[in-house]
Amino acid sequence: MSVLENYNTVFSSVFNVDVSVLSDDFSSTSVDNWDSITQLSLVTAMEDAFDIMLDPEDILNFKSYAVGKEIVAKYGVTF
Amino acid sequence: MLLQAAFIQDQSTAFIDVEGNTLTYKELSDFSKVFFKQINKRTLIFIFSENTFGSVAGYIATLESKIVPLLLHAGTEKSLRDALIAQYQPEYFWLPESMATEFKYDVVFSALGYVLLKSDIQPPILHDDLSLLLPTSGSTGSPKLVRHSYQNIEANAQNVGKVFDICTKDRALAVLPMYYTMGLSVITSYLYGGATILLFNGSLTDAGFWKFLKEQKTTILTGVPYSFEILSKLRFTRMDLPDLKIISQGGGKLSANLFNDFADYAERTGKKFIATYGQTEGTARMAYLPPEFAQTKIGSIGKAIPNGKLYLIDDNGNEISEANVPGEMVYSGPNVTLGYAYTSDDLQKGDERQQVLPTGDIAVKDQDGFFYIVGRISRFLKLYGIRIGLDEVEQLIFKEFGVENICTGTDEKMKIYVTDEAILTEVASFVIQKTGLYHQSFEVLFIPTIPRNDVGKIIYNFD
Repeated sequence: MSVLENYNTVFSSVFNVDVSVLSDDFSSTSVDNWDSITQLSLVTAMEDAFDIMLDPEDILNFKSYAVGKEIVAKYGVTF
Repeated sequence: MLLQAAFIQDQSTAFIDVEGNTLTYKELSDFSKVFFKQINKRTLIFIFSENTFGSVAGYIATLESKIVPLLLHAGTEKSLRDALIAQYQPEYFWLPESMATEFKYDVVFSALGYVLLKSDIQPPILHDDLSLLLPTSGSTGSPKLVRHSYQNIEANAQNVGKVFDICTKDRALAVLPMYYTMGLSVITSYLYGGATILLFNGSLTDAGFWKFLKEQKTTILTGVPYSFEILSKLRFTRMDLPDLKIISQGGGKLSANLFNDFADYAERTGKKFIATYGQTEGTARMAYLPPEFAQTKIGSIGKAIPNGKLYLIDDNGNEISEANVPGEMVYSGPNVTLGYAYTSDDLQKGDERQQVLPTGDIAVKDQDGFFYIVGRISRFLKLYGIRIGLDEVEQLIFKEFGVENICTGTDEKMKIYVTDEAILTEVASFVIQKTGLYHQSFEVLFIPTIPRNDVGKIIYNFD
């Protein structure tokens, strides 16, 4: 699985949506059930998927599909 | 009843919100009078709550003027909301301005971002002791409500005040929602004690939350087990929070690991970690573990709060006196609520419990008198701190699909077994829509027939 596919799979399983709905507009403001529960599941699943450990501020800032990519990239994951 | 004269007089600050706005005890007292003038009688009102000024001011005003509120989540799903309205017939509604258009009733008053709507509904008769109604389940929309008395609320405020040693210098962070018994208990008890309450209408993963917590010099933070998972993930125990004195936990059992971590953290930093136990039926809190035992009695709910009593009974209802023998835990005290309501007629009922509450939890007591929860008789789960009645979920599904089903599981995951293989995904979407549960907190599985024993009773622990 490519890095992008991996990243998309995490989103699709955490938010229970099809990969096709994912875009840079997919964010905590546009997604109804993006709350503390999904937020924590999301970062935990990202950490497991890429074998990384996010800093607290990155966990808090992980609020959209687009920003998430930049955050994950900081930990040496290249898309 | 909540606003003490001394704090009204000296203009103490009661609430601060995330924008730094303040609301004093005096302003709340004046608001309560104005609010009552709009209604001018004892009647039933639904409050669609948020952790905002309008919402708390409305709650306080109703209690001060003996109007009876049912507190609901502002985001309660519409059909559940309508069912509750049909069942209980409130004469008034207090809700966020933005919700007003969803109702066909006239706005008769507005303040603090909230509006008062008057319906043409004939309100039910209310018992004199009835002060407040809260839903039993977080979100299944069950019409089953808990009836509180005025004495319950006062007893909770006073006795919780003793547990946390509440004083006017305290700055309590209220992030748990106020329609949730423990969230409400934080607001009620700190208000009664003349403290300042920091109102946050969001979650621990909002960036603004941490800024608010630090800048407003929070002295006490209260969370459910799930909050502690977030705190742990955010490496809370490494943060520098010199003003924070107490971290309190309730709303279900914390894992031994997290319990340990936070007890150690408190010890290391000179703070108190206070684990508590409670239910809506006992006005939020019934037991607590004194912080000096946090490291030696890990996982214990401790002992009864002041003026309360905890004991265990065996299958015949006799009190168990020996240590380490499991039995149903019973609580007695002035915070035991009057009973349940299922329909508006029940609002005429008085005290059905006489201060005695079988908790539905199985516990043991160690030789030092500390209680540990080891199991549960009642059919409910606590998923992410939200109580979900399993029978209620079964009924919701049965009503919608007409298919036999059973709900079981653990506080980690609910399992829904349905007898029609073709509707598994539809049931899952329906449950999310009705309860707002996170999809990974439950699963829907197929079962050919409902497992029953010889006398036809459903076997829930078959898996």
